[in-house]
Amino acid sequence: MPHLRAEDLREMLGRDLPGAVQDPSPLQIVPPPSHGPQHGSFVTGDALIDPSRILEAALYMRDTLGYTYLSDIAVTDYLTDGLLEVVYRFYHVDGGPSLALKARLPRENPALPSLTPDWPGANFHEREAFDLYGITFVGHPFLRRIYMWDEFEGFPMRKDFPKQGDKYIGEDE
Amino acid sequence: MIKTEELQINIGPQHPSTHGVFRMLVTVDGETITDLKPVFGYLHRNHEQIAEVNTYLQNMPYTDRLDYFNSMANNHAYAIAVEKLAGIEVPERAEYIRVLMVELTRVLNHAGALGFLINDMGAWQTQLAFGMREREKILDLFESASGARLMCNYFRFGGVVRDLPDDFMPRLKDLLVAMPAFIDELERLLRENEILLQRSEGIGILPRDLAIAYSVTGPVLRASGVAYDVRKAEPYSVYDRFDFDVPVGSVGDVYDRILVRIEEMRQSKRIIEQIIEQLPDAQGGHINPKARQNVRPPVGDVYARVESPKGELGFYLVSDGSTKPYRYKVRAPSFINLTPLGDMCRGYKVADVVVILGSIDIVMGEVDR
Amino acid sequence: MDIQRGNIIVMDRRTGKLRAGQGLLQGLKVVWDHWAASFRKNENFTQIRGNFTVEYPDERLQLPQAYRNMPVLLYDDESGHELCTGCYQCQRICPPQVIHITQAKDPVTGKMVPAATEFIIEYDACMSCGFCAEVCPFDSIKMDHVFELSTADHDSLTMRKAQLNRPISYYTSIAPDLWEGVKAGAMKKLQGNIKRRPGVIGMAPSLTEKIKARRQELAEAAAAAPPAAAPAAPAAPAGKLTPEEKAAKLAAMKAANAAKKAGGEAAPAEAPAAELSPADAKAAKLAAIKAANAAKKAGGEAAPAEAPAAELSPADAKAAKLAAIKAANAAKKAAEAAPAVAAPTTGNGTAAPTDEKAARLAAIKAANAAKKAAEQGNNE
Repeated sequence: MPHLRAEDLREMLGRDLPGAVQDPSPLQIVPPPSHGPQHGSFVTGDALIDPSRILEAALYMRDTLGYTYLSDIAVTDYLTDGLLEVVYRFYHVDGGPSLALKARLPRENPALPSLTPDWPGANFHEREAFDLYGITFVGHPFLRRIYMWDEFEGFPMRKDFPKQGDKYIGEDE
Repeated sequence: MIKTEELQINIGPQHPSTHGVFRMLVTVDGETITDLKPVFGYLHRNHEQIAEVNTYLQNMPYTDRLDYFNSMANNHAYAIAVEKLAGIEVPERAEYIRVLMVELTRVLNHAGALGFLINDMGAWQTQLAFGMREREKILDLFESASGARLMCNYFRFGGVVRDLPDDFMPRLKDLLVAMPAFIDELERLLRENEILLQRSEGIGILPRDLAIAYSVTGPVLRASGVAYDVRKAEPYSVYDRFDFDVPVGSVGDVYDRILVRIEEMRQSKRIIEQIIEQLPDAQGGHINPKARQNVRPPVGDVYARVESPKGELGFYLVSDGSTKPYRYKVRAPSFINLTPLGDMCRGYKVADVVVILGSIDIVMGEVDR
Repeated sequence: MDIQRGNIIVMDRRTGKLRAGQGLLQGLKVVWDHWAASFRKNENFTQIRGNFTVEYPDERLQLPQAYRNMPVLLYDDESGHELCTGCYQCQRICPPQVIHITQAKDPVTGKMVPAATEFIIEYDACMSCGFCAEVCPFDSIKMDHVFELSTADHDSLTMRKAQLNRPISYYTSIAPDLWEGVKAGAMKKLQGNIKRRPGVIGMAPSLTEKIKARRQELAEAAAAAPPAAAPAAPAAPAGKLTPEEKAAKLAAMKAANAAKKAGGEAAPAEAPAAELSPADAKAAKLAAIKAANAAKKAGGEAAPAEAPAAELSPADAKAAKLAAIKAANAAKKAAEAAPAVAAPTTGNGTAAPTDEKAARLAAIKAANAAKKAAEQGNNE
């Protein structure tokens, strides 16, 4: 069972793909409370990859390290920090814990290279990320909304999407 | 001269064999399928956003409603994720009770799933009735322990909500007498049934490499010959204390998926027997008394997964230090297992589509979330 | 990959022992066996054959104690008091937000009372998770076993407090072991809460009338008993005291003590004497401010009438207030008698009230307070 840790991955990626790994800046997540205990900031331990080189890094995971199994693509909207973070989670088919690649995107017109041509399993994950967060995956063969209907406007999982009211009915009802 | 033309037809969204509101946009050339696109979202309720306005504990009953066949397994995945995030310890006895419940869930899910699959093949209700009867017995046990049959909401952070009732163990032991008889009978009914063989052998083949590339999990992945089981690959809870085998298929067709599910029920029974042996010696109570249910985990993110009966069920949580998750993402096995449906169906007949879909074993509550 | 504690089994696809058609027959035999066995009843978990059907609704399965369907509110059979204190714990934890509580307020002081005046659960949106029952610190909200709630009327599934109330004896009949586990703590907390509930606040609405009747009975019993036995208490039966009676006794004792502190001498019966009693100037002032505020609400004219009433209050404002609430309740009933009592007392005030109703109310309060204080004084 392979037991690569996140630090090992960062080191290997830094060695083999120079320039791809970025230094993660701490995330505030929510504005600090004016009083009371401070929640602190969050520094990720996972490898943070330059968004334009995510495909390269993912292929490195698959072909060099043998982490062939792309389990999950999760997007988080860090509104306070003004960025979207995409987490790619890989597993080795022989077992062991996961390794994650993270990429940070601006909230305006976020775009990433699509993994779907290489991992068909990324298809629905990327469509979900497009549907709910509005991330464009360049090179995806069928980038359409997956949950919401096609005419829907806006990206409902973003933190600034209104949580109340219905724009189709109106605020009052 | 005969001119042929491709035709697009919709199977679903209201169709008895689509296991819910699910549509397949099928392109057919005569009877042969040339393309298939799953279309869903009819049951979408933005589960993940609902979770962001709830506290961690309030999300527990919502996880029941993801895959309503296996609420215990969903509870388990979520409880593990929050415990990992907040650093809550679980007493040994609670872990055993959890695993017991999850393994019972696996048996009932496979009993039901096989019934529905045979139902889709046209053996109207016979196998389903047998499977449902066994499922009822397990649901009775769930009811006596958790208070509900389907939406169990039994797990809490640091354990389970209450200890097993007094009459639970005798009934479980009775059930374990019936279970092998049921599984053997199921096998006699299905294994060499010529009609079933014709409908399932060589249908919906998903080769090993494609299965991995498509990130499918659970019995579908194992039927394709990959011995990947989260309980073995990354043991969680107390799964490293039990002896059990991982069944794999050799071809990756519908028939292999049936066989793998039958064998998994046997292995679950083995695990339950070991739990009954080890449970009296387990330390601690049913819940960690120090664990606060109104958790306020430190800032950070976590991903935890379990082997749900349908595959790898994972929860990705981001905490901002408050009582509500900042981000709550479900990696739903039914959802991802649908990805290869188009490739699995290509080249087969329209009648095979419902069988292939049935062999994936999806629950729309989890697909659409 | 290698696997710890187990093997990888490659599934054997076909045994190949059977000739064509035999597999089908083998399967049919399974179906046949089930059909043949279906004529006998079987309720045993160890058997897989036989008729398991329960002829619902003629027959019903015994529901396990832990079964949960919809939440209900418990009240004590003995005293009729609800266990609920309106602490909002269940409202806060409810995932679909279907619980709505209005906490009870003391009608006189405006302070929160540990009871709920209204308690609404929207059964139509309830998800039966059972968190409310788990989180309830007073074991007041419990999960019911009734599941036949279908109705054609959607609105009837919004349950108000009167529909939610169930006696504890009902809960012990459906879940005896679960109640046994929490009984001691719940009853102890209930006794503590009853002491802080004036009047019939916190009682099950369906029982209010019954309880009044019982109280009347007790009072009559007390009247029949020798008066020397318990002169201070308004109703002191020979048997055990109900919690409200205990509370009343407590209030009376407090008032008596206050009167002792204030005067030392026995206070005369009427209001002028009571005016002497506020030794504690601060308390009186506070009461006056409160009265003024209340009066402002009622109407500017009421103020002068209210103010003297406040001045009349004895040193122990709390006890007097308590007495006043009781007096007010009594007064409400005796609608005609009240103004008669009020008139002389208000006469001791400064201004003639234009707002009659407010003035009357204030007067009643004052009169009753004075009367009580005087009574205590006389008793000493």
